[in-house]
Amino acid sequence: MIIDCNANLGQWPFRRTAYSTPDQLVERLARVQIDHAWVTSLDAVMLKDVTAANEPLAEAVADHTQLTAIGTVNPKWPAWGSDVEACAEQFGMPGVRVNPNYQSWTLEEPVFADLLAAARDLGLFVEIAVRMTDERHHHPLVMVPPVALSGLLANALEYSDVPIVVANAKNAEAGSVARDSGGDLPDNLFFELSHFESVGGVQSVAENIGVEHVLFGTHAPYFYPEAATLKVFDECDFSEADLEAITHANAERLLAGD
Amino acid sequence: MVIDCHVHVQGNWGTPDDRMGYLLEYADRLGIDRLCVSLGTSRDHEPDMDTIRESNDMVWEALEQHDRYIGFCYLNPCYLQGSLDEIERCIADGPFTGIKLWVAMLCDQPNLDPICERAAELGAPILQHTWMKITGNLPFESTPYHVASLARRHPDVDFILGHTGGNWEMGYRIVADIPNVYCEVAGGDPELGQTEMGVALCGADRIVYGSDAPGRSFASQIAKVRGADIADDDKAKILGGNMQRVLGL
Repeated sequence: MIIDCNANLGQWPFRRTAYSTPDQLVERLARVQIDHAWVTSLDAVMLKDVTAANEPLAEAVADHTQLTAIGTVNPKWPAWGSDVEACAEQFGMPGVRVNPNYQSWTLEEPVFADLLAAARDLGLFVEIAVRMTDERHHHPLVMVPPVALSGLLANALEYSDVPIVVANAKNAEAGSVARDSGGDLPDNLFFELSHFESVGGVQSVAENIGVEHVLFGTHAPYFYPEAATLKVFDECDFSEADLEAITHANAERLLAGD
Repeated sequence: MVIDCHVHVQGNWGTPDDRMGYLLEYADRLGIDRLCVSLGTSRDHEPDMDTIRESNDMVWEALEQHDRYIGFCYLNPCYLQGSLDEIERCIADGPFTGIKLWVAMLCDQPNLDPICERAAELGAPILQHTWMKITGNLPFESTPYHVASLARRHPDVDFILGHTGGNWEMGYRIVADIPNVYCEVAGGDPELGQTEMGVALCGADRIVYGSDAPGRSFASQIAKVRGADIADDDKAKILGGNMQRVLGL
């Protein structure tokens, strides 16, 4: 059983995206034995009213039991609280994603705590996308630095009953948060592995931050999904128990709120 | 045969031999047979000749210990005579096969011409790092445009376009009509479509697999080929067949 906690549907505005529909994505992920994926909307990242992408996303995956829609919200947008409510109550989503760098806010601002409070009330997890693409190759008119993770740890501790997923973070970014925590990350904090690099890098990061904090993710179809499966199953030498944790048990525990 | 055309001896632990043994263990897990290796532990962008020789000595030590490695001799073309002497020491009289150039000098400069002329005589391919960063290149960091200029002046040398300029959507187009430039998939994120576009624009005979390990994962980089929507024959060329031809193996 493999749950991909970081897949996408739709089009990225700066490159035509293959496998952009639910049918295509399900087929592409099945090629590498990925059974289920949490999907966000690529279209939502550059929309001003990001929530306009949520209803279409929910409708798109409605007939695909292999996909779970994750809505996008912007806590700097007027009346954003109703958007979070819609994700939970109207669309039945288990979590919401934010792109603070594309939405012009930081994790140290009060809006992040406000979002976590709203998520707690509605039983949602919150996912932070640190980046969407390599900063070195952005469109020259749309250069977006990665999300600084300062402020993450304090809020994760304050809202310890809200699962927080950090997606698209690199080894050093995950390691920095783990170091700030004194090697004891809060139970509610998870890092998705699509951007973990270096030889044996996934295993190194897992040993550093704790395997119980690692979620399997591909960032497909922007990335080849084989990158994640080959890193986890071929390049690394995880125990069966660790593979279980990374590929699905941690994600299931996150959803169960255990 | 799978050949990784872009591997380094980086790291501050153990001996070069320890680190190379460690890399082979991981390469085995991905089915990689041979590894083209270059650079030592120095990350100096403009290394002096002592540093260059130390770097090549580290690789030399690894080559003596492991017959699966293929040595690429690191040069700083700012030191032209030193570079030519190092080519003699490492390639003409030593166990190295190719040349590695990094970020010490833009590779379209005249100092590169004598180096290319000797490379042509020895049949040594040249791997030139390239990147095109919207955030700004290093002062002497070459782009595919620089490699294109050099490759046109030296059609009898095989050039490996390191990272295909990082921004591969541009990199492929810049060198598509230059038959002695091979585009390498190493070193960037495993973005879906990279290999397919290379095959479409340059042909499968001119795309080569590399990883830039240990900084990059062997797995994430080889996924660009194994996961590509291209013919199995083309994957075989990219994973090793093309480099076998370039290296004369």
